[in-house]
Amino acid sequence: MRAFLAAFWAEALKARRSKVSLFTAIGFLILPLVGGLFMIILKDPERARAMGLISVKAQLFTAGVADWPTYFDILLQGMAIGGTIVFALITAWVFGREFADHTVKELLAIPTPRGIIVGAKFVLIALWTLGLVLFIFVIGLGIGVAVDIPSWSPALGWTSFRFLMTTAFLTIMLMPFVALFASAGRGYLPPLGWAILTLVLAQIAGILGWGDWFPWSVPVLLSGMAGPRAEQVGMHSYIVVLLTSIAGIAATFAWWRSADQAR
Amino acid sequence: MSYAIETDGLSKSYGEVRAVESVNLRVGPGEIYGFLGLNGAGKTTTIRALLGMIRPNAGSVKVLGQAVGPNGRGPWRKVGHLVERPAAYPELTARENLDVARRLQGIPDVGATSRVIEHLGLAAYADRKAGALSTGNLQRLGLARALLHEPELLILDEPASGLDPAGVVEIRELLASLAQEKGVTVFMSSHILTEVEGHATRIGIIHQGRLIEELEAEQLERLQSRRLEIKARDLDTARTTLAEAGFAVQVREDVLVLDESRAIDAPDEVATILVNAGTPPSRLAVVQENLEDHFMRLTRERE
Repeated sequence: MRAFLAAFWAEALKARRSKVSLFTAIGFLILPLVGGLFMIILKDPERARAMGLISVKAQLFTAGVADWPTYFDILLQGMAIGGTIVFALITAWVFGREFADHTVKELLAIPTPRGIIVGAKFVLIALWTLGLVLFIFVIGLGIGVAVDIPSWSPALGWTSFRFLMTTAFLTIMLMPFVALFASAGRGYLPPLGWAILTLVLAQIAGILGWGDWFPWSVPVLLSGMAGPRAEQVGMHSYIVVLLTSIAGIAATFAWWRSADQAR
Repeated sequence: MSYAIETDGLSKSYGEVRAVESVNLRVGPGEIYGFLGLNGAGKTTTIRALLGMIRPNAGSVKVLGQAVGPNGRGPWRKVGHLVERPAAYPELTARENLDVARRLQGIPDVGATSRVIEHLGLAAYADRKAGALSTGNLQRLGLARALLHEPELLILDEPASGLDPAGVVEIRELLASLAQEKGVTVFMSSHILTEVEGHATRIGIIHQGRLIEELEAEQLERLQSRRLEIKARDLDTARTTLAEAGFAVQVREDVLVLDESRAIDAPDEVATILVNAGTPPSRLAVVQENLEDHFMRLTRERE
């Protein structure tokens, strides 16, 4: 446990000192800000048009209703897509930076086992990303209240929160493969390439109707991005995501344990 | 005898490239072992294998009596290392980098960081971000990390790389004092021969992946052949005169070389012979082959 705490402390310090934490928070902040902007536009389209805001696109995106369910939908759908990118950025940084900065060699021949270091990195990623989602939800609520969106109910707030966290959690569970690509690819580009590829494949699988069986489609389906197909998401979808997560974690641990660190 | 480092038939290939082949190393406790080789000779590959960072294709590695790897297994609490160019987390200060290392080494004593900072002369840079450190100070930071937990064995890859001449001397003296006073075993690679010459107790020369020679310090002394080099305005007459005097004269470019002890031990007599013959020497010097010459000769022979 002491070794894990030491490794986690080290990972947390690196994250705190890095600008990546700030950039990802700012990047994610766009989501509630844009959602709030759409609400302002939809609440009073004439005034928005007079202000020079493009109301047509906002109406296309949200079916033209300014209320809390629509606002939460924007957050949820933005979370499913933006989350994949932002979470992948965080994961790519946490693992890939050791190779980009050539610091990995300082983590290999030390008393703290490599598995503990990898575990600490995964825990940090989970806490960091979940923290970001909570932050966005709270900021989102604040913006919603400030914009004075109608049709609020505590039950709606709770359901939306659960959906948001479930979508976020499922997205996080798909990050181990990003970590594997950051490690085996020794840097940032392979994991980010992988994340973009899965994002594209997730859309294609969703369109073809296999999304509930394709792990990278499941969060997108759950967020409602794929419309009525979201109903297909069932226990089998969660199991597929879980198995993918386990496979990614196992592969990442195995790689750190046994791959040659010749560079 | 239990060795600090022991490899048997250590071999490592990357595809078709044989980085290291059948290397048998024995480094005793308290030794300073200079591991010499040209760039790409296999020094870093050997060091990475010693530290369990790569898996050998064949052979075994023991460090402080414990088999190394797989899964990063090894006596790392007692081993300090520095591999290739120094690296640090650029956004952390030098002190924070060392604190990270201290915690990962499992050292509860917070004072260890400050002590090693003082020891390595990093106090003025301790609170500077590692990304803003010069190469020399980054190297010092790397050495500080290697020494942080007061290891029994130091495995250092080019430890003087990036240091200024004063820093090279300082680190050399530091390593020598660690070996003499605390019995620390030092295994250090280098391609700068003067860096190990003089204070290494043993030297191994690796070339094209093979350990081609191991020398004790005294053995090196013996191997370093001395010769008398003579230059004269009339080289032919000088050569004939010395040959008539019974010397076996070798001509190397525009220099006459005598390697007999009667010439090396009495260059004044050689000078007298030449002066009496009317061909006084314009240069007369006893030259001793140093490690660099020996190394170059050895590696050239193996080309």
